[in-house]
Amino acid sequence: MASVALKSFVGLRQQASTEKPHYFFTSQSQTKPPRKLKFQVLASKSSPRLTNRNLRVAVIGGGPAGGAAAETLAKGGIETYLIERKMDNCKPCGGAIPLCMVGEFDLPLDIIDRRVTKMKMISPSNVAVDIGQTLKPHEYIGMVRREVLDAYLRERAKTNGAEVINGLFLKMDVPKDGVSPYVLHYNGFDGKVGGVGEKRTLEVDAVIGADGANSRVAKAIDAGDYDYAIAFQERIKIPDDKMAYYEDLAEMYVGDDVSPDFYGWVFPKCDHVAVGTGTVTHKGDIKKFQLATRKRAKDKILGGKIIRVEAHPIPEHPRPRRLLGRVALVGDAAGYVTKCSGEGIYFAAKSGRMCAEAIIEGSENGKRMVDERDLRKYLEKWDKTYWPTYKVLDVLQKVFYRSNPAREAFVEMCADEYVQKMTFDSYLYKTVAPGNPLQDLKLAVNTIGSLVRANALKKEMDKLSV
Amino acid sequence: MSISLALFSPPTQPLPLFSSSPSKPHLTVKPHLSLRPSKFLTTTKASAENGAGTSPSAATALEIQPDQKVAETPRQVVQKGESSVGANGSAGAVEIEEDNVLSQFMDPKWVGGTWDLSQFQKDGKTDWDAVIDAEARRRKWLEGNPETSSNDAPIVFDTSIIPWWAWIKRFHLPEAELLNGRAAMIGFFMAYLVDSLTGVGLVDQMGNFFCKTLLFIAVVGVLLIRKNEDLENLKKLLDETTFYDKQWQATWQDEKPGSSKN
Ligand SMILES: Cc1cc2nc3c(=O)[nH]c(=O)nc-3n(C[C@H](O)[C@H](O)[C@H](O)COP(=O)(O)OP(=O)(O)OC[C@H]3O[C@@H](n4cnc5c(N)ncnc54)[C@H](O)[C@@H]3O)c2cc1C
Repeated sequence: MASVALKSFVGLRQQASTEKPHYFFTSQSQTKPPRKLKFQVLASKSSPRLTNRNLRVAVIGGGPAGGAAAETLAKGGIETYLIERKMDNCKPCGGAIPLCMVGEFDLPLDIIDRRVTKMKMISPSNVAVDIGQTLKPHEYIGMVRREVLDAYLRERAKTNGAEVINGLFLKMDVPKDGVSPYVLHYNGFDGKVGGVGEKRTLEVDAVIGADGANSRVAKAIDAGDYDYAIAFQERIKIPDDKMAYYEDLAEMYVGDDVSPDFYGWVFPKCDHVAVGTGTVTHKGDIKKFQLATRKRAKDKILGGKIIRVEAHPIPEHPRPRRLLGRVALVGDAAGYVTKCSGEGIYFAAKSGRMCAEAIIEGSENGKRMVDERDLRKYLEKWDKTYWPTYKVLDVLQKVFYRSNPAREAFVEMCADEYVQKMTFDSYLYKTVAPGNPLQDLKLAVNTIGSLVRANALKKEMDKLSV
Repeated sequence: MSISLALFSPPTQPLPLFSSSPSKPHLTVKPHLSLRPSKFLTTTKASAENGAGTSPSAATALEIQPDQKVAETPRQVVQKGESSVGANGSAGAVEIEEDNVLSQFMDPKWVGGTWDLSQFQKDGKTDWDAVIDAEARRRKWLEGNPETSSNDAPIVFDTSIIPWWAWIKRFHLPEAELLNGRAAMIGFFMAYLVDSLTGVGLVDQMGNFFCKTLLFIAVVGVLLIRKNEDLENLKKLLDETTFYDKQWQATWQDEKPGSSKN
């Protein structure tokens, strides 16, 4: 078993570039209510057939990961339970989603508050470049409110047959064998706000942990820690004339003042802007960075009122263990946020769906018991599909977010139309478009030029201080 | 690929390292990762342990006064716990107001967001050395006094207007001399080596333009390594890059025969 799995992971290297992140779903077809999914039967011939009932799976957490997982499971014939502690949860989040998510998850257009077509990248010395110039008319970055998106996905899971439970998951009893149920303990709220709820239990055959960065499911399977960044965000209501500027525009600030290893942002929301920043290495200074971000944007948010302050951890890499027995982690609970862009909504929803698909396939649409091997299919597929993306963004972050000269060079580089096109294509569609060799070469030369100049200036600056 | 980073790390500036915690049971911990621990104020971990699983959004109530000072002692802002169920954020109506002190870079030669080249003439030619000096001074100043970005007064100065020979003359940049075939070969070989060590398959991914760019940077990075210090940095960076890979691969090491049935 071990060797098989390892081999397929190493096999990444050969196949990664040709793989497309679509498997069972042909995402382009945005039509019609749920189609019945057909799955090839490959695994778990050995696992017992279930009699008189279908496979029962609990999804813990009703964020994008949980919502997408529950919907897919329910459609695939699984008896699905979705446990969410707070139905109107408003997860602290920038709320930017790539265009392909709208299509792949059939999102209705009215949950998208804003369509951002201009992205301003602002360097430490305040050189601003607009990196949205190459967008085609129908292309945009969607801005959503998380309470709206999450509720919508949960609702859709429910429509497809999942039972949505308002409750706080506490812990679970792990069975000793491969067929006994997991017993989940939770406090049921029944939609009542406040109060501690009522202690209840639920028996299921498998569990998907989609309960975010502070996952209790992860704790239950001893999944280990990950490094995390702390992200801080203020929602600021700004005067109408200022808001007009952010109509379809988002800003990213880079610089040592704003964050030593990430970026500061101003994202437009429905009727206000979200101003925030994040860091891994200097968490204690986050308030200072936030002030600096606000200061850099001050001209444009002057007279604004802070209506909400929020902070939340963002995982930096996957947990050492993402799966044990019949329990798997997805989304932030597993640690799927990219470096560099800090993007996690799409990857959460995708991983939820992919994990659900593995369960459906392994259980032959809910007819058989599943085991760890079935769930491992999800991990294999996930790493194979997305590992290169994560790696590239990790390297980019290390190269370009590290020092002010590198950031200056980065912004200079972003002024290039070719860079913009490639960046947006890979962000919006999550596919890597083949480059043009001549343009690549030009880009490489320019990038090196920018870096060399910025570093030369830096050397000069260092001399000044002595 | 990490070779490239040598480019951005003048020896005078030790690189900020990952604030990685050596607590993971499945990871090999490199001693250097805990270098300079005092620099990192990390106190909480997003761990399954102390997260207690809940902190709904770890929303933190901050008191923000209109004239909040930056100098305030840094505090850990994220609180974990179950206390804040139901309170997702704190609403405090605080106005963003204009400071009294308006810090703005000023220089008679800095006109309309760029260096007025007509003021840098020497013997009928532009004195690029002076432009470089001036820009270095401006950036230095900005580091201490980050400026508000403004749409009305955009920065239009672009370092690429300074011709390449001015840089070379000024800094004796060795790239030009060193850029010969042999060095490039070494660079490429190193990139391949890193690639195979990390198992990323960046080279396999040659279709990806980012990778190609990075490969290029790597080559140049190698060319720039001349001192032993650089090599030390390089080694650290290499470990750091492979560390990220290990974090991903931990899942697969964890697997043991028989673990499939639980
Ligand atoms: C400030 C900030 C800005 C961000 N901006 C962006 C952005 O612009 N674009 C982007 O793509 N990503 C962004 N991210 C990342 C993104 O928010 C996450 O990656 C994404 O929310 C992960 O989704 P999830 O479903 O895995 O987890 P979550 O969204 O965290 O959802 C977890 C859910 O589980 C519930 N839950 C938790 N514990 C329990 C329990 N014990 N019992 C029952 N329910 C429980 C929670 O209430 C919550 O609804 C940002 C993150 C932060 C912090």
